[in-house]
Amino acid sequence: MTSSLRYPLLFSPIRIGPVTLRNRLVFSAHLTNYAEDGLPTAQHAAYYAARAAGGAGLIITEEHSTHATDWPYEKLIHGYQPAVLPGYRRITAAVHRHGTPIFAQINHNGGQASGMYTRLPVWAPSAVADPLFREVPHAVDEAEIEEIVAGYATVARHCKEGGFDGIELQCSHSSIVRGFLSPATNLRTDRYGGSLEGRARLLLELLQTVREAIGPELAVGVRLCGDELIEGGITIDEAVGVAEMVERQGCADYVNTSIGVATATLYMIEASMHVPPGYASFIPSAMREAVRLPVVGVGRFKDPLQAERALAEGHCDLVGVVRGQIADADFTRKARAGRAESIRLCLSCNQECVGRMGLNRWLGCIENPLTGRESAPLPSAPAEPPAAPSAPATAPAPPARAAPGALRGTRRLVVVGAGPAGLQAAIAAASRGCQVTVLERTGETGGCIRLAARVPNRAEIGDLVRNQLRECAELGVEIELGLEADLEEVLSRKPDAVIVATGSRPAVPPWAAAVPPGKVVDVRAVLEGTAEPSGEVLLVDELGFHQATSVAELLADRGASVEIVTPGMVVGQDLGITLDLEGFMMRSAAKRIACSTDRVVMGVDASGVTLLHHPTGVEETRRVDWIVLAVAPEPEDALYRALKEAAPVCSLQRVGDCVAPRRAHAAVIEGARAGGTV
Amino acid sequence: MTSLADPLRLGLLTARNRIVFGPHETNLGRRRAISERHVAYYRARAAGGAGLVVTEEASVDGSDWPYERAPLAAECEAGWGEVAAACHAEGALVIAAIGHSGGQGSSAYHQQALLGPSSVPDVVTREIPKAMEAADVEAIVGAFARAAASAVAAGADGVEVSAGQWSLLRQFVSSLTNRRDDRYGADHLLLVEETLASVRAAIPGAVVGLRASCDELAPWAGIVPETAAKHLVRLASYPRGPLFDYVTVVRGSGYATWATRPDAHTPAAFNAELAASIRGALPASVAVVCQGSLVEIDEAEALLSAGKADAVEMTRAQIADPELASKIVSGRRDRVRPCVLCNQLCQVRDVRNPIVACIGEPRSGHETTDPDPLALAAPPAPSVRSAPAAKAVIVVGAGPAGLECARVLAHQAREVVLFEREDSLGGMVTRAAARVPGRERLASLVGWLENECRLAGVTIVSGHELTLEELDMHDGPVVCCTGSRPGRRQYEVVAPGAAVMAADLLAAERLPGAGGPGPAVVWDPAGGPVGVGVAELLAALGDRVVLATPDFVAGAELARSGDLVPANTRLARAGVEVARHSVVRGVDGSGVTVEDRFSGSRQVIAGAVLVDAGYRLPEDSLARALAASLPPGSVQLAGDVVAPRTIHEAILEGRRAALRLAGAR
Repeated sequence: MTSSLRYPLLFSPIRIGPVTLRNRLVFSAHLTNYAEDGLPTAQHAAYYAARAAGGAGLIITEEHSTHATDWPYEKLIHGYQPAVLPGYRRITAAVHRHGTPIFAQINHNGGQASGMYTRLPVWAPSAVADPLFREVPHAVDEAEIEEIVAGYATVARHCKEGGFDGIELQCSHSSIVRGFLSPATNLRTDRYGGSLEGRARLLLELLQTVREAIGPELAVGVRLCGDELIEGGITIDEAVGVAEMVERQGCADYVNTSIGVATATLYMIEASMHVPPGYASFIPSAMREAVRLPVVGVGRFKDPLQAERALAEGHCDLVGVVRGQIADADFTRKARAGRAESIRLCLSCNQECVGRMGLNRWLGCIENPLTGRESAPLPSAPAEPPAAPSAPATAPAPPARAAPGALRGTRRLVVVGAGPAGLQAAIAAASRGCQVTVLERTGETGGCIRLAARVPNRAEIGDLVRNQLRECAELGVEIELGLEADLEEVLSRKPDAVIVATGSRPAVPPWAAAVPPGKVVDVRAVLEGTAEPSGEVLLVDELGFHQATSVAELLADRGASVEIVTPGMVVGQDLGITLDLEGFMMRSAAKRIACSTDRVVMGVDASGVTLLHHPTGVEETRRVDWIVLAVAPEPEDALYRALKEAAPVCSLQRVGDCVAPRRAHAAVIEGARAGGTV
Repeated sequence: MTSLADPLRLGLLTARNRIVFGPHETNLGRRRAISERHVAYYRARAAGGAGLVVTEEASVDGSDWPYERAPLAAECEAGWGEVAAACHAEGALVIAAIGHSGGQGSSAYHQQALLGPSSVPDVVTREIPKAMEAADVEAIVGAFARAAASAVAAGADGVEVSAGQWSLLRQFVSSLTNRRDDRYGADHLLLVEETLASVRAAIPGAVVGLRASCDELAPWAGIVPETAAKHLVRLASYPRGPLFDYVTVVRGSGYATWATRPDAHTPAAFNAELAASIRGALPASVAVVCQGSLVEIDEAEALLSAGKADAVEMTRAQIADPELASKIVSGRRDRVRPCVLCNQLCQVRDVRNPIVACIGEPRSGHETTDPDPLALAAPPAPSVRSAPAAKAVIVVGAGPAGLECARVLAHQAREVVLFEREDSLGGMVTRAAARVPGRERLASLVGWLENECRLAGVTIVSGHELTLEELDMHDGPVVCCTGSRPGRRQYEVVAPGAAVMAADLLAAERLPGAGGPGPAVVWDPAGGPVGVGVAELLAALGDRVVLATPDFVAGAELARSGDLVPANTRLARAGVEVARHSVVRGVDGSGVTVEDRFSGSRQVIAGAVLVDAGYRLPEDSLARALAASLPPGSVQLAGDVVAPRTIHEAILEGRRAALRLAGAR
C-alpha cells in the first residue's frame, strides 16, 4: 500500500506563511548539547541534515539565546553573537540540500537559569526563584525589557542572514516570555503584568519586532504552553486567549504547542513510556478551534499512524515527532515509502536523549548508535575499541549501516547471545557483508530487555528487540534459539570471528547465600515467572533503576505488600534522569509501596531480616515472606574465557553485560562497534 | 624547627618553601588539554610564592574520562610546558599529577566499559567496571610511564601518581574493590609498585610523588592507617631506592568521597595525626605532605615544627588568596584573605562544568578575564585635561558587597565613606549565615574585609541609617549595597500559628512567641546550608524538628560543596525528621500543615512553629528612591539589593561596582 493511501493527511503539503512544507512531520526544537563555546557545530549540521535526508517536513533547531544574561546550561547557542553566522549557514545549507525548510527557535530563558556561567544576575519579570535553578532573579525594568526586545531583533536578523526559513519564539516551557505570561511568575503591577493582555504584552512586542526585523519572506511562529501543570500557572483557557491575541496581531504564521514547565514539570514535557501517546493533544485541539493559523501538536507520537490519526481527528495541522526521528532519522522516508514496519521505533525510555541533556552531555539514543555521531568520521576498524577520541562530543563512531567498510569475500561470524548487544553486533556485521549466525541459549531473543518489558507500562522497552529483529531479518541474520553454545559448539561452526554477548547472571550477596533457597529470589526470577512472591515482600535495591521499582509495582498490583529498601538516599534515584521518578512516586503512593532509604541488609535469620540504617547505626528487623533482590549481576564470561584460552583460531570480541553488566545503551554501542570491526 | 618558609628537598630538587598548591579539578581545560586559563591560574599561585604547584590530574590514557574536561595526558604536553615555564619563572616547582579513576570514572563520554580490578560496582554511580584482563593491566602501567615521560619532557619537575581517593591504583590496593585471583589479587600493592617503578624508570632524576589514600574510612575491608604505613614503607624500601620522593597523605574511598576534601563541618587539619603516623613510619629520605582543610597558617606551621609532616598542601587557602605563601614568608600573615572552607565554588566535580572560583576572591579561576582589582592601585597618570580630584564615594551597607566595594575603591586612592545601619558590619553574613553550625568561618571573611577597609583608610560609620536627605547633600557617586528583606510567604499563617524567617531566627537565636523551644517545622524550598543548619540548631534545643523539603533529600543543593551526605547524616543523628518531596501549606493554632507533592496527603505537625528558610527579596527602597532623584547611572547596585543570592555574587558585584567607578574617574 502506498503512503498516500496509508497516511494521506501526513503527506499532504501545507503552507506556513511564506513557506510550503511537503508533509506534516516536524522535527521540533529540542536541546542537543552539541554547541561548543556558544556556537553551533558541524555536528548540528550533520544531525539536522540526517533528519532532512530522512524526509522531515520541517526542522526547527534548538533554541538560540537572545541576550548575554541568558545562559542556563553550558552548551547553549549564543545567537546574539555574530560569530554564530558561519555555523548557521552550515546548518541551513546542509538541510536545504535535501529540500527541507528549517526554522530557528530563538529564546531568552529568563528566570529559568542561574548566573553560573554568566556571573550576572538572572533576569525575570519578578523576583520569583525558579524551583530548579533556585536563584532569585532580578525583576527587569522597562529599559531592560527594551534590551531584551532588541536582543530578539538582533538574533532574528542573524537567523535571516544565516539562511533560516523561519523563526519560532519559544514562549512555552523555559522562557522569559513564559515567565511574563504566567501568573505564577509574573507578579508585576506595571503594564507588563496583571491582566492577560498585560502579561502578553512582551510576547506581542517581541513578535512585532521580530517581524519588522526579518520582513515578510520568513515564517514566524510562537510556541505556547497549554498547561504549565504548576500551581497558579497558565492553563488551557488563557493559553487559547494568547493564541487568539497572536493571531489578531497578524505577525505570526503558525502556533506550536507544548505542555509543562521545563524546570518544574519536565516529566510531562518529555514524557516517558508510562504516559500514553498523544497525551497533550487537547492543547493544539483547543487552539485549533480558536485560531485559523496552522497549529502544531506534540506529545510522544511514535509512529506515523498515531500522527495521521491526530491529523484526522482534527487535533492539529502538523505533528511534532522528535524522539521518533532521533531513534530513526529515516522515520518520514520509511513512512512515505509504505515501510512503516521498518521504522526503528522510539521506546520513550529517555535514557540517552533526555537523560543526557540534564547531565550536560551530548544527545544520543539508546538504540541508534549513530545519533550524536552524525558528523564523526568512520573509524578504521581497530581491533579493540579505540581510546578516547579527540572530538569533544563524541566517542568512537560505530560504522554506518550501509558501511563503506564492506568486506570483500564472505566471513562467517558467530555471535553468542541474542540480547541487545549480540543482536546489534549481528546487525553491524551483517550490514558489512558478514554471514552471521546468532546462537541463543534460551527460547527467546532479547535477553534482559524481554524481561524488562514484562512489567506494567514498560512494554515499549521491548520495541528495542523488535526493532533489532526487524533489522536482522532484513539483513538475513540467522538466529538459532534454545542452543547452549559451549566452546566445542562454537568452534565446530568454523567461524572466522566470534562475538561473545552472553550477558550476565544474577549474583547472590553473601548474606543471602546463607539463607535456605526459595524465599530469596532475584528480580529476574520474578519476571521469568519462576518465582511468585506474595504477602510481605522486601525488595532490596542496589541498582537504583527500573529493576526494583517496576517489579515492586508488578508485585503490588498482584496484591503483595511491598517495601523497597536501598542503601542509597533515594529509592529509584536514576529514574530521575529518565523523568520516571515523579510518576513512580505517584503510583507507589497509590499502590502503598513503602520506600525506605539509607538501609543495608546485614543478615537474615529466623527472626527476620536485619537492616542497618547506616547514618545512625540503628538496626531494624523486618519479618517478611519473600526477599526480592535487585543487586549488581555478574558477567557471564565463561565462554569468553574458554575461547580465549583455546588457541586463537579466530578473531574474538566480547560485548555488553558479559564485559561488565550495564544498561542497554552500552550493549548496543559495543555490539555496533564489535560488529563493525569484525 | 622546620617552618613553612624553609626549603624542601624532593629527590634531587629543592622547593623554595613547604607550601604546596595541590592537584584539584578546575574545569579550566579546553576539551581535555591544559589551557591558557590553567596557565594563568597556576602562574598566579607561583607568583604568590607557592613552593610547589601540582597541576590538575591528567588521565594517563583514554580509557579514563572521569569528567568532561578532565585533562588527558596525550593532550597535555603543550599545556604542561606552558605551566612549567610560567611557574618556573616565578620560582615554583611544577609537578604534573597523573592518574586513572578506574571504576570511579564515567563511561558517559567515551562510552566504553570502565576498568577496575574486579566487577564491583562503584558505591556512588553503581556502575560495574570491567574486571581488567592481564593485557589491560599491562597497558595501564605503560600509560603511566608514558604520561610521566611526556610531562617531564614538557618541562615539569616531576609527576604525582594518584593512588588517592578517586583512583584505580587505590581500587587495586583495597579489599573493598580488589577480589582478583591472580598475582594482583595475591599482592594488592603490586600494581602500585609496578606503576611507580615504571614511572621512575621513565623519568630518571625527576621527582616522583605519590598521592595515597591512607584511610578509606571503611575499616571492614578498606585500607586502614596501619596497612597504609606498611605499604608505603615497602615502596620506600624498594631495592633500587625509594619508589617515590614524597607522599601526600589523603583519606577517603568510594564509601566516603566527601571525606577527602570536606567543608568546614569537618575540623580543619583533620589528617594531621594520619600524616604523623605515616611520617613516623617512613625513612627520612622521603617527604610526607599533609593534606586536609589546612587553612590556618599557625596550624600548618605547628604540623611542621612537630615533625608530623614535611610540607603542607594549602590548596583552598591559595584559591582564596593566591599570595598566601608570599604573605607568610614576608611576615604579613594578618593580611591573608581567609579560606572559609565553604567549598561553594572551588569544588567543581559537577556535570555542569563550573569553573573553579572562590566566594572571597572571585578572580580565582578567572585570571584571564578579570582584572586584578589591586593591580590598578597606583593612581593613573594625569590625563591631558587635568582631571579634578575624584569625588568621595558613599557606600551604603557594609555587608560583603559594600565592604568589598569600599576596599577596592580605597585601594584606588578614592575617598570612601561606608555607612551601615547596624552596629556591627558584615550584614547577613554576620547576623545569619555565620551563625549556621559549621558555617562560623564565614565571619572571618567579613572580618578580613573590614580590617582591609580600615587599613586602606575607608571611613566606616556604623549604627547609622542613612536617609535620602543626607544623601541629597552628597555630591558624588553612591553604591547601594542594602541587601535583602524577607520574602513572600507561599502558605497561610493563621494566628495563633506563628511563622518566623530563618534569618531572623538566626539573628535572635531563639524562637519567638512561646516561652521556650517547642516543635518546629523548617520549610526549606532552597535546599542550601540555611535550612539544614537551622534544623540542626533547633534540634540541639531538644524538641521535635521537621525539615520540609520539596526534594528527595534534605539540603539537595549541598551536593556541590560535598556536604550533602554529611548533612543528611547529621540530621538523622540529631533526630530531625525530613518530610521529603513536601510543601508547607500553612500554620495555625493546631500546627504546621505539610503536604506530600506526589500523593497529596497532608499531615499536621502539632503545635509547631514554622521557620521559613525560603527566598528573600531585594531591600531596594533606597535604591529606587535614589534612582528617581538622581541622574541615571550615578547609583551603582551590588549584591542582594540586585537579587538576593550568595556571598559570592555580593563580593563579585561589589568589586565590579568599584572598578566601574575607578574606570569612570
